[in-house]
Amino acid sequence: MSVVPLDVGRVGQTDTPAADGGPGGPIAARSPGQAVRLRLRRDRTALVSGVVSALLVVVAIAAPLIEAAYGIGPQDTFKDDLDRYGMPYGVAGGVSAQHWFGIEPGLGRDVFIQMVYGMRTSLGIAFAAALTTTVLGVLAGIVSGYLGGWADAVINWITDVALALPFLIFTLALIRPLELAFYGPREAVPGWFRVVVLIGLFALFGWTGTARLVRGQVLSLREREFVDAARATGARTSRILFRELLPNLWAPVIVVFSLSIPAYITSEAALSFLGIGMLEPTPDFGRMIFRSLNYLQTDPAYVCFPGVTIFVLVLAFNLFGDAVRDALDPRSATRPAR
Amino acid sequence: MLAFLIRRILLAVLTLFAVSVLTFLMFFALPRDPATAMCPKNCDAARLERVRDELGLNDPKHVQYLHYVRGIFAGRDLGAAQGGHCDAPCLGWSYVNGEPVTETFVRVVPVTLSIVVPASVLWLAAGIGLGMLSALRLGTVFDRLAIGASLTGASLQLYFVGGVLLLVFVYTLKILPYPRYTSILDNPWDWATALILPWCALAVLFSAVYARLSRAQMLETLSEDFVRTAQAKGLRYRTVVRRHALRAALTPLVTTAGIDIGAALGGTVITETTFGLRGLGRTAIDAVKDGDLPTIMGTVLLAAAFIVAANLVVDVLYTLIDPRVRLR
Amino acid sequence: MRYRPVTALVLLTLVAGLGACSNNKRTDDEAAPDAGRQASGSIATDPKDSRGPAAEVPGAAKGGTVTVLRQSKVSHLDPQRVYSFVGLTASQLYARRLTTYKDDGKGKVVLVGDLAETPGTDVTKDCKTWEFKIKEGVKFEDGSAVTSKEIAYGIARSFDLALTGGPTYLQEWLADTPQFDTKFNFTADKTALPPGLSTPDPRTLRFTFARPHCDLPFAVSLPATAPVPPAKDTGTDYDKAPFSSGPYRLAKNEAGTRLTFERNPHWDPATDPMRHQYPDAFVYEFGANPVTQTNRIIADSGADASAVSFNGVDASLVSKVVSDPALKARTLQEPTPSEYTLTINNNRVTDLKVRQALNYAIDRDGVVKTLGGDTVARGVTTLMPPATIGWKNYDAYPAGRTGNPGKARELLGGATPELVLGFPDDARNQELSTTLKANLEKAGFRITLKPIAADTFLDETKKKNNPWDLYIGSWGADWPSGASILPVLYDGRAIKDGGSNNGASYLNAPALNAEFDRILAMPVADQLAEWGRLDEKIMLEYAPVVPLYVDVMFTIHGSKVGGVFIDSIWGSVAVTNAYVRP
Repeated sequence: MSVVPLDVGRVGQTDTPAADGGPGGPIAARSPGQAVRLRLRRDRTALVSGVVSALLVVVAIAAPLIEAAYGIGPQDTFKDDLDRYGMPYGVAGGVSAQHWFGIEPGLGRDVFIQMVYGMRTSLGIAFAAALTTTVLGVLAGIVSGYLGGWADAVINWITDVALALPFLIFTLALIRPLELAFYGPREAVPGWFRVVVLIGLFALFGWTGTARLVRGQVLSLREREFVDAARATGARTSRILFRELLPNLWAPVIVVFSLSIPAYITSEAALSFLGIGMLEPTPDFGRMIFRSLNYLQTDPAYVCFPGVTIFVLVLAFNLFGDAVRDALDPRSATRPAR
Repeated sequence: MLAFLIRRILLAVLTLFAVSVLTFLMFFALPRDPATAMCPKNCDAARLERVRDELGLNDPKHVQYLHYVRGIFAGRDLGAAQGGHCDAPCLGWSYVNGEPVTETFVRVVPVTLSIVVPASVLWLAAGIGLGMLSALRLGTVFDRLAIGASLTGASLQLYFVGGVLLLVFVYTLKILPYPRYTSILDNPWDWATALILPWCALAVLFSAVYARLSRAQMLETLSEDFVRTAQAKGLRYRTVVRRHALRAALTPLVTTAGIDIGAALGGTVITETTFGLRGLGRTAIDAVKDGDLPTIMGTVLLAAAFIVAANLVVDVLYTLIDPRVRLR
Repeated sequence: MRYRPVTALVLLTLVAGLGACSNNKRTDDEAAPDAGRQASGSIATDPKDSRGPAAEVPGAAKGGTVTVLRQSKVSHLDPQRVYSFVGLTASQLYARRLTTYKDDGKGKVVLVGDLAETPGTDVTKDCKTWEFKIKEGVKFEDGSAVTSKEIAYGIARSFDLALTGGPTYLQEWLADTPQFDTKFNFTADKTALPPGLSTPDPRTLRFTFARPHCDLPFAVSLPATAPVPPAKDTGTDYDKAPFSSGPYRLAKNEAGTRLTFERNPHWDPATDPMRHQYPDAFVYEFGANPVTQTNRIIADSGADASAVSFNGVDASLVSKVVSDPALKARTLQEPTPSEYTLTINNNRVTDLKVRQALNYAIDRDGVVKTLGGDTVARGVTTLMPPATIGWKNYDAYPAGRTGNPGKARELLGGATPELVLGFPDDARNQELSTTLKANLEKAGFRITLKPIAADTFLDETKKKNNPWDLYIGSWGADWPSGASILPVLYDGRAIKDGGSNNGASYLNAPALNAEFDRILAMPVADQLAEWGRLDEKIMLEYAPVVPLYVDVMFTIHGSKVGGVFIDSIWGSVAVTNAYVRP
């Protein structure tokens, strides 16, 4: 019973109040690494989606190199290529040898290089958020599952509270005071600061799903013989937690991690939709898509390029995550933003 | 059973308490001084101070909190500028909307309900139906198409789907009116035709999730011992599926559905924004943008209450439908 | 599981098909549209001008419902609290005022008596004592007569701090202090009248001021002078159900979503110089953003065929609308009196040369293109918008349409001033300030961008010691005279620690302050040319801001709506002449 950030994309795990036994599954119990690799290699979808995901990640990482090769930066404007209504001249939103995907109406920037850098922002936030929430969730889950008693009750309750807080409203309300707290009124707030804030807020609200999942797993694992054996030999609690239990949790954790990346890409885009995502002039995928939607009729190419790209990006990660999950555990899914 | 219920309810109340305290603290982090909202154009420091006094903003924070909580249970007297006495449950008075927060709720909650309830029926039916069928026809073309479609659906953006739906059905084909809320009591036909697009948009995205989820559940159930036992006893496959597997596979979905619906009731911000509707979600977002503190507080509490209540209902429901559940 | 994402590919192709080519050729460009209407206005001297009925609108028919689509709700309906463009225009339906404008929608406006027989009599010829005679036959929606008592009561209740939101001119002038609530406590005795306000008889309303206020005929055109019967006053709840004196009355108020007005049978056209009663009903509908409004009205189906967009055609859809003659025929386009400036904090940027360099550097063409082109904004170089009566066109720092960075560098003499530009963090201002930064840095400035929460932006910049050097400022005058622009924005005596009523430039020049007093004491007709002259003087000698642009209202209406126009005072959609084609 758990959900990650409310309203914005969430990674949910079905797990029932009483089904603490949880779905370990026969595969997870075997050597997980080998099994996963074997299954993934046999799965063509996994292969294709994995390659596409990797390619997009490489594009994002190599953005400055692409900029150098392409010859146009994200802040370069080409206002002369816009007509007096701010619409680009030429075919399909100004597509040309110079501007591969055309130029942005009104702003006059190159769409391609905006997308390359925007992907960098989006993927950066998504990866970092997925990583932080997973680490936090695993820690909380292990502690609460293994220790039980009061620690378990308190962590469970905190999870309940985190689940009940409306993510969007809190994000909206907290972003500006945080910037005020860290930067003077005359200092520019660098683009990365909001990135950090967004990651932090995702982490704050997003760890609950993983925590509940891991707790369930630990509850079943802690009764196993190898844990008893470790306890009998007088191992310290921390050793049991991280040396004995953690290695057995990799399978479900990897699934949650890989499926939460597309969820956070979607969430970040949704924040931009509500005007609380990244600010100009930091290139951002979500904001670009939101802005382009208005041009659905007048400059469809401008909607198309970023729209299709984010779709492919999310789909590729979803497919890949799904394939990993299929190889490990059939019970999980992502949820869209409402 | 009773002890279990009481414990769960107590826990829920405790959770709501924590949410309310956290939200209340968040107020003071906001850069906006609530007093400026009701100060006239040429507001000077002395007058602002008087306004702060009237609003009780000069009281210690815990006193302000206690006043607020007492208002919810017993009602409270607000100043003349805030509409005088405010009956329980009093969530304060909004300057931006010029009315008690509860009155705003009376207006916007039906909108959110009208979006969420039919949409969830739609997405549950479509999603679970699709998922179950594709599980039973594992590996067929139908299965592949269904799962492909659901992955596609889950990878789309709600505002993107919404924008395209509007363009096609409202602006181009003109077969549907632009979404606008009419009470179901006034005119059920208008109510349904105007809201069908938001329902569909939500259903496209969420049914995808449920299709994948229920397919996985069904596959797992079919591989469990009791199904094999039933088959071994000589029962027909269809009977096994209908009598035993279906129920077992659906049970865990109750949890997910309950929580999704609970969270959705707290406000479908993106749907409402895309379709220009004004439910709880838009009200909350506008309130934050306008610095309308009483409305923010009210919407956060209500949204949290929906989620906590959904949790509670799901837990109770679970004990009723799943015989394996022991009450702790 | 080995499924192929066939569906994904199909969908991808479909979406890509949407991008099917349409070629936007460079030769398609045409000359810029006409420069817009020229304001010319006067105050009616002939009482006949103030009499009804208003001239029939050619082609107008009775019946039907006109819908006005708007993004956000009207903040106040209570006439004493109305102060937004939408409120000011919508309240014409139900709240008559002491004076109002006859507006031909082409820039020619005449201030006439509305409830009053004339636009006011300056009894003592020193602008200190004014009298208004109330027309006979003016009625409320229940048929009872409107007298000077209800008008005076309306003005009195605007002293109540619980009923804030509206303009404060009358309160401050009567009390002779900005702290008007210290001079008159409305809630203590609701039958009393504020100092200086009296009703010698039911048809006479008299204002007596300590200082001359020659602008009073303009000031009483705001709906704060709408009559309110004391028995109908419900305090803060009056905002939900105001009592009508106009041709329509509020039939249904679905707050935040929809307002429905129906005909008021007791309104007598013979008393009204400018309103009509053509449609059966008016509906104000809130929630749809400009893109949606435009799309709905383009689709022109159902009720939207008789709808008009209040927020106007979104920049993203302009090219679609102007390229289709059938759609273009349904549009209205006029520059509005809302002017935007790059306001300079004169407390911080004390060097006149730097302020002048900023003026030379600015690329107004680039600004206009960023905002969405000619149909969204129009560059200006004056402090008063062109829609002001008595406006004088000049360019104190001629640098061409795209600015002169070279000239600016020359003035700076090699210095590279580091300035912080504060802006409201909404999408439009993010894009605008990004453009301004690039523009100014070409001229040698070093600009730091500082987003400020849009909801607190005004409060923050109105703090005297705010830490920013530049910000995006805007002003929509309350009436089309320099008197409600120049002294309001540039009189240094209005500077306060917080909540300065001084446009946030913090210019404080004693010589100018004296000029303001001198001109304000002149009869209104003589003031107009003086303001135009002073406008240029301020820019030449002080350069306190960089004038950027005025909003252009470019809106579209359904094929069945007639008679709607962009009013000359607020630049908003006016509905008083609207009708539905059968």
